[in-house]
Amino acid sequence: MYARRRFAVLKNLLEYVGIEPGRLHFSWISSAEATKFQETVIEVTDAVKALGPAKHMIKDIRKVA
Amino acid sequence: MAEKILAKDQLDQFLGKLAEGREVFAPQDVEGKVAWAPLEAAADLLWDFSNSDMSPKDYFFPQTECMMRFVNKADDEMGMIMQAEPELNTPRALINMRPCDAKAFQVLDLIFMQDEMTDDFYWRDKREKSLLVGLACNDPCPTCFCTSVGCGPHHETGLDVLLVDLGDKLLVKAVSDKAAELLAELPEAEQADLDQAAELKKAAEDMVEANVGVATDQLEGREVMELYEAALWPRVAESCLNCGTCTYCCPTCHCFDIQDEVQGDEGRRVRNWDNCMSWLFTVHGTGHNPRGSKTHRVRQRFMHKFKYIPDKRGGEIGCVGCGRCVQLCPVNIDVRSVVNDMNA
Amino acid sequence: MEAIAQGIREAAKKLLSQGAVDCVIGFAQGTVPMRDYPYFAYTPEEADNLTWSRFCCNNLSNFLVRREMGEAGKVAIVAQGCVSRNIVGLIKENQITREQVHIIGVASPGMVDRGKVQALFPLKTITEVTEDGEDLVVKGKDFEERVPTKKVLRQNCYTCVQRNPVIVDEMIGEESEATHGGNIDKVAAPWEKLMPEERWEAFSESIKDCIRCYACRDACPLCYCHVCFVDEARPQWCGKTQDEADVATFHILRAFHCAGRCTDCGACESACPVGIKMRGFTSKIEKDIRELYGYAPGMDLEEEPPLSVYKPNDPQEFIK
Repeated sequence: MYARRRFAVLKNLLEYVGIEPGRLHFSWISSAEATKFQETVIEVTDAVKALGPAKHMIKDIRKVA
Repeated sequence: MAEKILAKDQLDQFLGKLAEGREVFAPQDVEGKVAWAPLEAAADLLWDFSNSDMSPKDYFFPQTECMMRFVNKADDEMGMIMQAEPELNTPRALINMRPCDAKAFQVLDLIFMQDEMTDDFYWRDKREKSLLVGLACNDPCPTCFCTSVGCGPHHETGLDVLLVDLGDKLLVKAVSDKAAELLAELPEAEQADLDQAAELKKAAEDMVEANVGVATDQLEGREVMELYEAALWPRVAESCLNCGTCTYCCPTCHCFDIQDEVQGDEGRRVRNWDNCMSWLFTVHGTGHNPRGSKTHRVRQRFMHKFKYIPDKRGGEIGCVGCGRCVQLCPVNIDVRSVVNDMNA
Repeated sequence: MEAIAQGIREAAKKLLSQGAVDCVIGFAQGTVPMRDYPYFAYTPEEADNLTWSRFCCNNLSNFLVRREMGEAGKVAIVAQGCVSRNIVGLIKENQITREQVHIIGVASPGMVDRGKVQALFPLKTITEVTEDGEDLVVKGKDFEERVPTKKVLRQNCYTCVQRNPVIVDEMIGEESEATHGGNIDKVAAPWEKLMPEERWEAFSESIKDCIRCYACRDACPLCYCHVCFVDEARPQWCGKTQDEADVATFHILRAFHCAGRCTDCGACESACPVGIKMRGFTSKIEKDIRELYGYAPGMDLEEEPPLSVYKPNDPQEFIK
């Protein structure tokens, strides 16, 4: 419940600086909810795949400097 | 070689020649700040400016510099073998560099290229491939104190060419023979030009002399431990934030941190500026930190520049009096008052 | 302003000569224009060096947790609205106790943004700036001009809603009623109206000159961690390079660590040697904290910090 407040602020901040909506996901899943876990993972991976590769916060060490 | 004259309306031609086989950089007005940037045209050159906010040291010692690369795979034929990064491809010319900054690089040469065993390839490569064209200061700032640390507004050390702004023309003085070809066709200066430059030099030196300076005459004779344990340090450290502003804007601060970074099969060894104000700079793997307090860290910077470097490098002071740290320190720790207290 | 400075000096002398405090933390006049600096007076004589002006841009509460001399004793501190709010924060976060500090309160006149003054005189060297009533008199080698102070205040000072200290032991001068005319709700989170791509551009543009000196962190009274996350080595959370991803990681995480605690005092922006305006992104967090949890940091000693509590009906649309 504490985390809910922190995540709310963090998600808003990241989207505010330009991380696309849909790249960040939050779920409550109990250790007894295997089905929900599986469904959520599929949902998340599908959503992120649809957005394509991340454009920001990517460090490429092959670049000079 | 005799002094030459370069009319400002001939600058484009001169820069054209300078740019043959070189990349040319100069301090320019970048969004209201004086910053070093690639030079497109003579019109972008500044003539009435004090100095760039940041020192041009990153042309020789970039804030982040890849030193080597490696294949991050133990079973690869080339696995974990360091491959040096290529040398600088295109030589550079840095034009309108202030004499204090050029002097700073000569000080840093004493550190990066000490002897056979301590000879920094990365520094040397860029130093040797750069032509430094200086611009004498005719109008020093109130924070300048170059003349009290062995430098001066028309100082030539470290430069290849010194320009003196005479209004619509420049007096051109070859300091090294690196630029001889460039200057060969310029007309020779007349006595009146030389006289004018000498007057400007005198006036500029007088202006700096009138500023608050630093006195360092007592430091050489003083024991290291006496200065180290002087009572002034806790008071200097009191307001210090331990940020890196003074060290990163400084033309002579040169400390760095080397790290290996890996991404999948790729790896690189990279060095980044680091600074003695940082707690992390000296902390040991054991957790012990020999410079555990703010006071220790603040002391280090002043002792390094005004005692350790002079003691080890034949009296050369590790400060050129550019005054950047005086202007930028968020809590106005003024190097001049600190050093004068050390010297007292 | 000089009357306030005089009042501060007198209060400090009294406290020091009575032995009520070991030290008075205030400001003294700097050696460069528009840069008065944090000063620590230990004797009544040293108290003569104290001053008060519109050039007092550091947040003094920072030194309550960063001081290495005489840490055990009681100190007096000069505090306007934002500084007092940070003192409240430090008390709530158990960094200091209320009994350890004697607060010499002053109403904030609004502090000057050096960068704005310099921008009025491009590439010129400013040699002296003095306050004269509602104007600044700005002098250079070949010019002298008057600039209305109201035009060159720090952005956070325009929207400040708490110029008077929230807790105080003695007040110097009058309390101030007026704000400087700004409305934080109208200017906070300036990039919200942009599309995601434009937002990243705006953010990345705003931090592009960062040299990672960490002056913003070190000037901040919230950043008192013994080891900051950027200085953690095992594991190393944040890369050390000038790569945009590393620089952005620092700024985003530092801002987030201040969520629900930032009083918008502006010390970070004032300390930055390259003029980065961190409030472009920190104001978003403070706005969220206000809107989601109805909280303004440092206003009240009793109120629980917003990220240390929860309510069952807190917003959670984003959780699936």
